[in-house]
Amino acid sequence: MQVAVRRPLWLGLCCWMLALALLPCNALDRPRLTQSAQAMGPAAVQRTQALLREMELPTTDELEKVKAINQFYNRQIQYREDIDNWGAVDYWASPMELLQRGSGDCEDYAIAKYFSLIAMGLPPAKMRMVYVRAQTGGAIQAHMVLAYYPDTNAEPWILDNLITEIRPASRRPDLAPVFSFNAEGLWQGVGSASAGDPTARLSRWREVLSKAKSEGWW
Amino acid sequence: MSLIRQIWLLLGVTLFMAFVGSFGVWMASSRGYLETQLRLKNADNAQSLALSLSQQRGDLALMDLAVSAQFDTGFYQSIRLKDSAGKVMFSHDASDALGVARAPAWFVQLLPIQSEPGIAQVTDGWRALGSVEVVSHSSFAHDQLWQGSLKTASWLALLGALAAAVAAAGVRRIRRPLDATVNQAQALMERRFITVEEPNVPELARLSQAMNMVVTRLKSLFDEQAGQVEQLRQQAHCDALTGLSHRSHFMGQLHSTLVSDDGPTSGEVWLIRVSDLGGVNRALGHRQTDLLLQRLGKSIREVTQGIPGALIGRLNGGDFAVSLSEGLASLPQPEYMGDTLKRLFAEEGVNAFAVIGAVRWHRGVALGQILATADSALARAETKGGFTVELSQVSAGAKSVMGQDQWRDRLSQTLTQQRAQLVSYPVVDPAGELVHHECPMRLQLEPDGPYETAAHWLPMAVRCGLIAQLDGLAVQLALTAILKDGVERGVNLSPSSLTDSSFVPRLRAQLLASPVAARKLWLEVAEAAALDHFALVRELCKQLKPLGVRVGLEHAGERLTHIEFLFEAGLDYVKLDAAVVQGVAQDAARRAFVSGTTTMLHSLGLAVYAEGVSDQDDLQALWPCGVDGVTGPAVKQG
Repeated sequence: MQVAVRRPLWLGLCCWMLALALLPCNALDRPRLTQSAQAMGPAAVQRTQALLREMELPTTDELEKVKAINQFYNRQIQYREDIDNWGAVDYWASPMELLQRGSGDCEDYAIAKYFSLIAMGLPPAKMRMVYVRAQTGGAIQAHMVLAYYPDTNAEPWILDNLITEIRPASRRPDLAPVFSFNAEGLWQGVGSASAGDPTARLSRWREVLSKAKSEGWW
Repeated sequence: MSLIRQIWLLLGVTLFMAFVGSFGVWMASSRGYLETQLRLKNADNAQSLALSLSQQRGDLALMDLAVSAQFDTGFYQSIRLKDSAGKVMFSHDASDALGVARAPAWFVQLLPIQSEPGIAQVTDGWRALGSVEVVSHSSFAHDQLWQGSLKTASWLALLGALAAAVAAAGVRRIRRPLDATVNQAQALMERRFITVEEPNVPELARLSQAMNMVVTRLKSLFDEQAGQVEQLRQQAHCDALTGLSHRSHFMGQLHSTLVSDDGPTSGEVWLIRVSDLGGVNRALGHRQTDLLLQRLGKSIREVTQGIPGALIGRLNGGDFAVSLSEGLASLPQPEYMGDTLKRLFAEEGVNAFAVIGAVRWHRGVALGQILATADSALARAETKGGFTVELSQVSAGAKSVMGQDQWRDRLSQTLTQQRAQLVSYPVVDPAGELVHHECPMRLQLEPDGPYETAAHWLPMAVRCGLIAQLDGLAVQLALTAILKDGVERGVNLSPSSLTDSSFVPRLRAQLLASPVAARKLWLEVAEAAALDHFALVRELCKQLKPLGVRVGLEHAGERLTHIEFLFEAGLDYVKLDAAVVQGVAQDAARRAFVSGTTTMLHSLGLAVYAEGVSDQDDLQALWPCGVDGVTGPAVKQG
């Protein structure tokens, strides 16, 4: 895995390497997260304490971390539609907002897991948010999951809130991937001008990126 | 640095900063806007391209085709597909020829516009294929920025020009009252005590107000002084009853007319006598007789009115004298005077008569001879009785009478051959130091003939219209002489020259040609000329004084207090007439007048010199009066 990171640098990898360098990969910014949790509310403080305990897992195995985070959110957060939860048809909550509210829908789970893993030091390029077509029972619904790629060409592990344990993609026949994205190529733009850049609010993804930045996840 | 220049500099810097500032801000914001637009376009296009590539089930050929389609129909710098490891799988790059930029290369180099690449992830199902990187062409942004900056610059330049025009108008508005105030201050320094209109600008208005007040106060002081001097003059020179010159003053005036270098060539003297004044006095009473004499004086004045240089005096009792100089105006006949007297006596109902003895003289005749001839004419008239007029002639010798054409020829030849010389009479100060040489011009009218004084040719030169040229010649000779020995020289100008509109500009050019000598030149005009043509004299001062020339009045004294503009002409000096300074040693009233006049002129900053001092006692008496210098036969040369 270390070898993969240390591959010769291609032009396209530049941005992401830079992002890696900028990220607090090794050191978890505890005070910062605690502070933003306090600003958010008592529930957020409580859950953040619990999350921080999970994050300090004495392991270097990424998959262990992925499992722990997946489990934490699937246990702590209740599923709830955006319209009931936030009063909006579609709302992408930041991790801290989710921790305060205690409930969210599929993309809120995925986002919170994504940023928590980044905060724990996982390389962002190894994860992707994936739009999937989910078949649950007879119904088909639009769904979002987080995919973890242990290696660039490897089969991903799926972090989902429908099936709470993580499984390789091949063991999820109920999910058909449509499109995936991550923050690659966006780090710089969001990082440098999270508050002033007017384009940050034009896209949900960018907005969440900049919120997570201000909360101290990355 | 001058105030106006400072204002200009301030305005200039402000305008420039506004120009550069707005241009810079516009440039930065436009550039930022264009970069943002490019970034958004790149990001959005990358996402949609990635979405469509993710649908190709990993078929590289299809994906390449899709990328080609997007690239060829869009406006892109490059589109690249990289695998998960970052290796470029395929890439489309625009050749340089495609984007024909209209913006010059230096502009692009100076203000680069970053087209930040848009990156999106491409997948085949769960398998990560890599990422697509989209970079839009930025040349259109450069073009837009270039065009925009040209347009903005021209608009700003237009606005700047407008602002500059407004500023210019504003500065001119400030400048006008400022200049007026400064000019007034300058005028005060040059002894021109003028008042100006108070400007609208409050700060300057107060300044002008203060200066105007000083001038007004000074003027009222001067007027007071002038009134006193006028009183002294009347006491010194005039007969108390009629206000005409008394005997000795009249004689002094007549004498100076006869001997003056630029005096008339001929003239008349009338002696008017009221016969048997004692009888009249007895018949009418003292009071009525005085009244009659006053009326008589008044009608003599009326008859001689308008004749330059006419002198009237009451010699004693019922004896009056009139001196008329031949000049441009034709002289009244003595018979006309007789008729006027006859009418006067008839109107007054006085049973008495007056007689007139007139004498026509030519230059060269002595004063005594003229008076003797006039007396005998008067005696003859008296024997005939009843408003008789007797006219006699006295002449120094046979004088060839020449026509005007001949005179013109002679004078023109003299001028072209420059047969002229300046004679020098020193003007000295109390310490005996030379102030300047008074330099009247003499002309050699005939080749090998004598050099003649102005009295011989001046009236004819005026009549022939050559006087301006002769004055020009005199100035030229003086300048040449000054250049040679560096001694200051004074030249007198004829009043007729001043009326020649081309004279002053010519004189100015002459003086400009020798600026060093001009500083040592003194130009003077007669007091009478200053009274009649004060506007011309003022113009003369205005034009010539900046060149360093000193301008003054000569033959002054009689009517100085009547010269209103003395106050504002900016003259340098005044020369008191011989008739005024003569006899100061004997007569306390004359001394008082000279002293008063000198004090008055000194208070205006004018220097005072005495002309034609012929008596050593007078010379000694003049210094205590305060004069700055004297000239005349009594002054020892050297």
